[in-house]
Amino acid sequence: MRPKLAYSFPEEVLEHVFSFIECDKDRGSISLVCKSWYEIERWCRRRVFVGNCYAVSPATVVNRFPKVRSITIKGKPHFADFNLVPEGWGAYVGPWIKAMAAAYPWLQEIRLKRMVVTDECLELIAKSFKNFGVLVLTSCEGFTTDGLAAIAAHCRNLRELELRESEVEDICGHWLSHFPDSYTSLVSLNISCLGNEVNLSALERLVSRCPNLQTLRLNRAVPLDKLANLLRGAPQLVELGTGAYTSEMRPEVFSNLAEAFAGCRQLKSLSGFWDVLPSYLPAVYPICSNLTSLNMSYATIQSPDLIKLVSQCENLQRLWVLDYIEDAGLEVIAASCKDLRELRVFPSDPFGLEPNVALTEQGLVSVSEGCSKLQSVLYFCRQMSNVALLTIARNRPNMTRFRLCIIEPQVPDYLTQDPLDAGFGAIVEHCKDLRRLSLSGLLTDRVFEYIGTYGKKLEMLSVAFAGDSDLGLHHVLSGCDNLRKLEIRDCPFGDKALLANAAKLETMRSLWMSSCLVSYGACKLLGQKMPMLNVEVIDERGPPDSRPDSSPVEKLYIYRTVSGPRLDMPGYVWRMEGDSALRIS
Amino acid sequence: MSETDLAVIKPEMMKPYVWLQTSDDSIQQVEQEIAMFCPLICQEIIQKGMGSSKNCAICLPQQVSPAMLSLILDYCRFHQVPGRSNKERKSYDEKFVRIDTERLCELTSAADSLQLKPLVDLTSRALARIIEGKTPEEIRDIFHLPDDLTEEEKLEPLRNITADPRIRLLNRLYAKKRKELKERERLKNVEVEEEHVDDRSVDDLLSFINGNDGDPKGVKTSKNKKKNRRKKEQQKNSSLKEASELNKKEVNGHDIRHQSSEAEIISETSYLHYAEDDAFTSKPEFDDGDIDDEIDPALKEKIDREVEDFARRLNSDWPERMQELLSSGQERKTVLFTADGFIRRHA
Repeated sequence: MRPKLAYSFPEEVLEHVFSFIECDKDRGSISLVCKSWYEIERWCRRRVFVGNCYAVSPATVVNRFPKVRSITIKGKPHFADFNLVPEGWGAYVGPWIKAMAAAYPWLQEIRLKRMVVTDECLELIAKSFKNFGVLVLTSCEGFTTDGLAAIAAHCRNLRELELRESEVEDICGHWLSHFPDSYTSLVSLNISCLGNEVNLSALERLVSRCPNLQTLRLNRAVPLDKLANLLRGAPQLVELGTGAYTSEMRPEVFSNLAEAFAGCRQLKSLSGFWDVLPSYLPAVYPICSNLTSLNMSYATIQSPDLIKLVSQCENLQRLWVLDYIEDAGLEVIAASCKDLRELRVFPSDPFGLEPNVALTEQGLVSVSEGCSKLQSVLYFCRQMSNVALLTIARNRPNMTRFRLCIIEPQVPDYLTQDPLDAGFGAIVEHCKDLRRLSLSGLLTDRVFEYIGTYGKKLEMLSVAFAGDSDLGLHHVLSGCDNLRKLEIRDCPFGDKALLANAAKLETMRSLWMSSCLVSYGACKLLGQKMPMLNVEVIDERGPPDSRPDSSPVEKLYIYRTVSGPRLDMPGYVWRMEGDSALRIS
Repeated sequence: MSETDLAVIKPEMMKPYVWLQTSDDSIQQVEQEIAMFCPLICQEIIQKGMGSSKNCAICLPQQVSPAMLSLILDYCRFHQVPGRSNKERKSYDEKFVRIDTERLCELTSAADSLQLKPLVDLTSRALARIIEGKTPEEIRDIFHLPDDLTEEEKLEPLRNITADPRIRLLNRLYAKKRKELKERERLKNVEVEEEHVDDRSVDDLLSFINGNDGDPKGVKTSKNKKKNRRKKEQQKNSSLKEASELNKKEVNGHDIRHQSSEAEIISETSYLHYAEDDAFTSKPEFDDGDIDDEIDPALKEKIDREVEDFARRLNSDWPERMQELLSSGQERKTVLFTADGFIRRHA
């Protein structure tokens, strides 16, 4: 035994060893080994992932890791996607950009999710980082095309600009023209969420002068007859999102298009297809067998056309589609797409009272039988049964993400009228590597007992209109060892389970509870007992102090943090502290 | 350098052997062609003219023991043969690093001291693979490293927190607010006491979590001492009934203590290295999954019963609450999606 063994490593050697370790978790472990490793590790950390922008302050990150090149930050809770987080809640990226502008002149990559990004932020990014290369904004908001113009104008080494489902105020389509003529480094451009037209000739010129362009996701406003030209300018494309996929039926448009597609031999991923005219779909048939990813979730075409297309995609790994695919289509997929890993079926008519398509639980069962590599599912449907869930569970023990959305809340097993406890129980029991689960349908406390017992690897759980009592929540909090994110709405969960498992909350990223039965008093108590948490009550009815302690709060967002209370809470958010809600006005 | 070049510069360098001295002071003869693979040795021979005899043997760095030299020379001997395919080399390399970790560390050090970059890369990658997926404790064990990060260092205090003007303002406002609340409390004394009576059972539940509250220094430091906490749990569990009685008495005292430590918390906020995503991916120092396992079964039963009890009480007036919920939530039922009917694909 040589206790001093590791000290004979010069720092550079250890740094070199660390350079081969990229996973965040491992970097974290390294930093906790001993003093010297902590120091070495922090100086050579290049990528940082901040899962909750309020868990740590920009200053802390920047001070601890002086040489970061790439940062990913997430802001609002996931339920913001369902309009449950009111306007002005927070998640402003401004303070982060300011801190990084000062500390990281060599920052290359910024990836943000559910954050508020202003034009000023984009301008600051454009001017502060000389070698800036990657900007990915997923589900972000707060900026306009003027901000994009600044990025285009100043980031000479920009490689990726992706606006995934962000809300952009579309002021002027000419922002694209701000890319100088000398700019040729574009690798990935995703403007699919922009509402208005972009300057098409600028786009065409940009596309054809960037030889490394691999990803091009257009917005709906790009007409189909322009697509062929764009494709011809970039035959090396790997990922394409079309614009509107409809036009007056003119033979030359079709043949042009077919020829252009045939020229793109590297295409592996297709998306877009707004307003699809089915007669134009055959233009893509020649490349179908190369596709690994197909997103038809905006394509309102019926099952037969969908089937014709998808049945040719034998190498498909990821499929996003509307429920127009129907059970019949899913059966075909089960037979043809043997490499399928991820399936998302979205509802075409979520607000309709009657089913408009022949899509039932059977479709999912077929795919689970036929596609042995299926591990990620998001499925909207109107009926489900325990036996179907059990079958799926038995078929696919390799499932890692399972999100079932039965459109109507609290719908029981349509065959037996039982709750779906047993079905979901089978899922968690058989799928031992399940990391993400969304529940729906009629569910009692029993399903949570199963989840607590078997869901040992579960990291994220979404619950709505389920359970009978606090016992349900207690099972989850006490049983799911790896739980990081828990989001609950409209469930009869109250104080007891939350308070009894208060310590658990420090091991999780966050807990969201809305329209539940957690009392104001319990929130205060939690805030008082757990200083490492921010217990934030969201209540648009006015100060919680004006109501009795026993009154349930509207919404509750609890997250662990090392940076104390946040300073940017809007008027309807109160942080629980001591005997009252503190609100600095 | 070609062979003819070497012959012109120094005839002695053409000798096929070179003398090397390892860390144990022993000297050995080694094929020169092989030894020259190591940049350091190469340098010594060419620039300083060393190694041509036993008397002027090249003194290798401390990290190079005879065993390590032997390994390194094996590596050099294999790779200096030009005819080998990439596949062969890769296969050799993979087998080469299949040695115990201690030797692998030694080898890395030795290779680094000899500036033999390809071998440093190979061994470094192998070490990285060993480190991946392990906990800090496991890594410490494997590499014989000290556990010298103190608990306080793991809770590195934020530097200059009070220098931030917003924080200073916040502190002042909090202090002001606390004064106001204290005033209000004194006036509402009776009500507050009643509340405490109601909360007693909740405090029981919390008592095992807040065993730390017995520490007058406040919640922050003790909360994050994994070992201490476990010890405290065990102590607490053994004298459980007395403890719960004690806690009932401590309720008032606890509140006062907490208020005084609030200032500490705000002005000197400490933090944890959190697991994975949240901050920047350090594991939490405690694993709350264990807490339940260590609870005295009697207490666990008690908690379960209390939760069930509460559930029953809740369920009795649940129908009314459900009505409330349903009527207010009617328009929300179908709003599982965004307002414009668009479901976020990336949700």
